[in-house]
Amino acid sequence: MKIRAVALNTFREAIRDRILYLLIFFAAIGIIFSRFLALLTVGDRVKIIKDVGLASISLFGMLIAILIGTGLVYKEIDKKTIFTLMAKPIHRYQFLLGKYLGLLLTLLVIIILMSLIFLFLIFGHTLTIEWNLLVAILFIFLELCVLTAVAILFSCFTTPILSSLYSLAFYLIGHLSWGMETIIKKTKPGLGRTLLRILYIILPDLENFNFKTEVVHNLPIPGEIYLQSFLYGLFYSLFLLVLAMIIFQRRDFV
Amino acid sequence: MEHVLEVKNLHKSFKTGFIPQKKKVLQGITFQVSEGEIFGYLGPNGAGKTTTLKCILGIIYPEEGEIRLFGLPHTSLEAKKKIGFLPENPYFYEYLTASEFLRFYGQLFGLSPAQREKKISALLQLVGLTHASDIQLRKFSRGMLQRIGLAQALINEPSLVFLDEPLGGLDPLGRKEMRDIILRLREEGKTVFLCSHILQDIEMICDRVAIIVKGRIIDQGKLQDLVSEKILFYEAVISGLPASLVKDLGECMAAEGGRLLLKVEGEEKIKDLMKVVLEQGGTLHSLTPRTATLEDLFVDLVRQG
Amino acid sequence: MRSKNYFFAVLALISLLAFMGLKIRIDKIPRQKVPGSSIIYLPSGKYLKYATFGYSSLLADLIYLWSIQFYSNYDIPHRFDYLEHIYSVIAELDPQYLDPYELGAMIAIYEAHNPNLAFRILDMGLEKNPQEWIFPYQAGHYAQMILKDYALAQKYYQKALAIEGAPPILKRLFAHATYRLGDYRTAWQNWLNIYQSTTDPRIKKIASNHLYLVKSAMDKEQVEQALRQFRDKLGYYPQRLEDLVSYGFLSQVPKDLDGRDYLYDREKGTITPAQSPWKR
Repeated sequence: MKIRAVALNTFREAIRDRILYLLIFFAAIGIIFSRFLALLTVGDRVKIIKDVGLASISLFGMLIAILIGTGLVYKEIDKKTIFTLMAKPIHRYQFLLGKYLGLLLTLLVIIILMSLIFLFLIFGHTLTIEWNLLVAILFIFLELCVLTAVAILFSCFTTPILSSLYSLAFYLIGHLSWGMETIIKKTKPGLGRTLLRILYIILPDLENFNFKTEVVHNLPIPGEIYLQSFLYGLFYSLFLLVLAMIIFQRRDFV
Repeated sequence: MEHVLEVKNLHKSFKTGFIPQKKKVLQGITFQVSEGEIFGYLGPNGAGKTTTLKCILGIIYPEEGEIRLFGLPHTSLEAKKKIGFLPENPYFYEYLTASEFLRFYGQLFGLSPAQREKKISALLQLVGLTHASDIQLRKFSRGMLQRIGLAQALINEPSLVFLDEPLGGLDPLGRKEMRDIILRLREEGKTVFLCSHILQDIEMICDRVAIIVKGRIIDQGKLQDLVSEKILFYEAVISGLPASLVKDLGECMAAEGGRLLLKVEGEEKIKDLMKVVLEQGGTLHSLTPRTATLEDLFVDLVRQG
Repeated sequence: MRSKNYFFAVLALISLLAFMGLKIRIDKIPRQKVPGSSIIYLPSGKYLKYATFGYSSLLADLIYLWSIQFYSNYDIPHRFDYLEHIYSVIAELDPQYLDPYELGAMIAIYEAHNPNLAFRILDMGLEKNPQEWIFPYQAGHYAQMILKDYALAQKYYQKALAIEGAPPILKRLFAHATYRLGDYRTAWQNWLNIYQSTTDPRIKKIASNHLYLVKSAMDKEQVEQALRQFRDKLGYYPQRLEDLVSYGFLSQVPKDLDGRDYLYDREKGTITPAQSPWKR
């Protein structure tokens, strides 16, 4: 299928991009560093390895998604490689979707790699394979699906530097959603409050994908949240992608 | 007979500058291309050739106008299956090798893997790049990129091939090869749409041309109809005679190394010149009749426009 | 082309509404939070300082702010386990930040019921900021009010008094602590000092009240000792205080600071001042 062709091609493009290796290198350093950080702490050592390890996977996943994602579409337009592609029988939206899935595939491979190193490290400490860490990692990946979508969205109409900044802003807003909730509680009821509430619901809540704390402390996670978070991620990504498709469809590639 | 490519009343403006000002680039372009011909689309730089081509291929959207390929809307996938495009400068994925590159495009046409591989080796052979099939495109020279570009344009055996300045930047041998390939495409029954501002090449191979200046088509038709065959003047190179002797016969264009280049108008004056040369013991090195060329026509038209 | 655009627009709208609805539902699901658990993995402040690239003061602010929210949240169990650690980290990062010492000590005493920790924190504050009399002042205050440990309080007040700019009230607190410890002579001297060195009528009144108190205590000590001696010797308490003088146990019967007689309780063998020192 055409989308698959574009996706695999994007995967090849990402794999051959040197930024990727730099980021993977630092991610590995991060995970290994946690081992040494554990020596400095007061308390349970394995927990700090889990905390830092999950944080590394999350952080570097985010950086890869944003740094590579924001260049994906922009480079095609800027370097004009898209010209010959336009003469081929492929819809613009199919091309975009292929790019998105290609980067997701790249991220999946990297996350799996990092997870293996991570689990191996934990295994070395506790001599058990902690499967519930995979739950946290799975939802980290879901968060990355949303971040990649937003990076591609911005990539359709602005330069990589600005796209990266906007995407980072999206990420920060996504994790500070609770702050807005606090503000809403302190606002007097009225039009302002309603508008704020609507804004609050539209803005992303990336904390819905954050199970790191629960997993590290072995706290119970309410069952219904799995499906609902998954659907939230799915629909939010879909929304961003469709916006990207609309913009991509309508613009001139000068 | 249905035209292979039909462009009607194409309008396109761009907003340029820091304070966006609308600049009209295409002002009602209309022309048709028939099957099996080599169509030349020429104009000076900035006239709107590439813009027209981008509109046809769906890279940009016109404000007004209609474009039909094989009678179908130009954005339909059916139409796209039958065309190929070689852009002016090579804009290809640097990180792919030559065969990976062709394989990717082959996948977009839905060719089966077996068909694809056969096609790829045939094309590489055609453009003379078999030895480079596993080298990344980033390492290709300009000429090699041009050739791989041609290969991808032909991968689906298109009925209509768009070439944007295909002979630019090639050495003389390369240009000859490219011209031969274009002529062979016509022999195979394909239609070729050729954008260029190098008139000698157009003259050599095109059947019909359209001339675009400042966003308007100012002339179009069969090449031989546009350019008359009248002999305008002769160019004669002589030596061994002082310039004063031949002053009345023709305009002295250049004098170097004892030789004079004269522009002589009319057959009578040529006869007189030859008599003077024989009688005075000079030498006639060359005598060339100059017909009106496309260049002359072009320059005139541009000056008028 | 047109229809494709409509399709996309509708799809966008559907997904927008879908995720909005999901968000409202997800918000309602309670999730167990253990806020601040990660802060326990803060390494010692010494190393942290180097890791912060010169932003240690900012980091101190942030941790302090976080700790205020953290300790205001009564739902968190065992939140005092790392109180000392957190506040020593803040102190390491920004030793001159004064508020955390005060707050940390306050939390330690009132919430965690750990007075020793409070004193340690305030001591740390004074050590890093020798010009701040507020720390020994507060420590003395806690010692006096909560522990009723006047010896400790007196020590702290003395420390505070040694610092330039210490407010005059510290002298009074010190004097009172001395009184409470039973060292009436020194207390009398201190209060007399205060009485004589001030021109403020209010302070004079306070000092005079305290002098009254001290004198009463001194007199009480003296007279009751004589009474006990009398009883030991003669087997009963005297009928009148003047008898103590007659029998030679006292040189004279003291009167209170205002010249009034003390009230003698023959049954118990005690004397009490005729009035409260504060109602004079």
